Amino acid sequence: MFKELDPLLHSPLRLAVMSVLIGSHEADFMYLKKVTNATSGNLSIQIDKLREAGYITVTKSFRGKMPRTTCRVSPEGITAFETYVEALKSYLPQ
Amino acid sequence: MDRTLSEKESFELIRQMISTAKNNLQKGMGKIFLLWGYLVALISLANFILLVVLTGEAQYNSYYLWALMGLGYPVHWMWIRKIEHARMITTYVEKMMTWVWVAFAISIVTVVLGLVCSSLLVMNRMTMPGQEFLHWFQWLFMPPFLVCLYGLALFISGKAYQFRPMVTGGIICWLGALFLLVSLHHPQVLELQQAVICLCALAGFVVPGHLLSRKEKSHV
Repeated sequence: MFKELDPLLHSPLRLAVMSVLIGSHEADFMYLKKVTNATSGNLSIQIDKLREAGYITVTKSFRGKMPRTTCRVSPEGITAFETYVEALKSYLPQ
Repeated sequence: MDRTLSEKESFELIRQMISTAKNNLQKGMGKIFLLWGYLVALISLANFILLVVLTGEAQYNSYYLWALMGLGYPVHWMWIRKIEHARMITTYVEKMMTWVWVAFAISIVTVVLGLVCSSLLVMNRMTMPGQEFLHWFQWLFMPPFLVCLYGLALFISGKAYQFRPMVTGGIICWLGALFLLVSLHHPQVLELQQAVICLCALAGFVVPGHLLSRKEKSHV
């Protein structure tokens, strides 16, 4: 029986962002941009979608005079990610 | 544009992204190790030489050299600020290790402050026989305690970062602490203590610091 995959996570960029955040305590917007090879605009949109869903928290601060955006996965995000991986497993050949 | 992933692609993407975060090595930490390692090694070496050269009461004044450790703090904070400024990702291991070293610093301050206060409290009221000896003797416990704490922090960090030189350094510090405790009654205990502190600083901080710096360069 195939389980339904969370459509919010079943997209390459959002899944990549969530995977990086799951494996780290927090990550900078520029780091996410570097590892995902995404454009700033697209990454901002996808991060916003994840934030609106409550999967991640976004903190805006300043590093010297430069603005800085830091992302961190929320407990809801961890649960959603775990559920997504469990659902993915049901698609694998037994 | 969003495209749909196959299940296999999803797993591969997750694996790939998690591994990028895991392999991250914070640049600049090697320098911090070298700063404290060289500072402790040089002060203990100078202290050792003064203990050998000087005689009588003057010998004990050589310990004031340790006040030079204070020079490390402004440099330490300046470099930490630089590291934090350049930091793009914080892994769970890094977060945990920060707290281990904070706990290490608190433990060091506790031991030093505790012994200094205890000494000041009895300094002018030594009435009981043997109290003067005990007052002198209590200071001998400081180096083994501190070296033991070096071992603890280094061992945990080395295991967490899977960095063998740090683990080895930690073990050497523990052996050094054991040796210092066993040799508490040795006639040349003061000189021995400074020599062991110097060796432990070299093995625990200087050697791993240089290797860490080299490793950081190869990851750039």
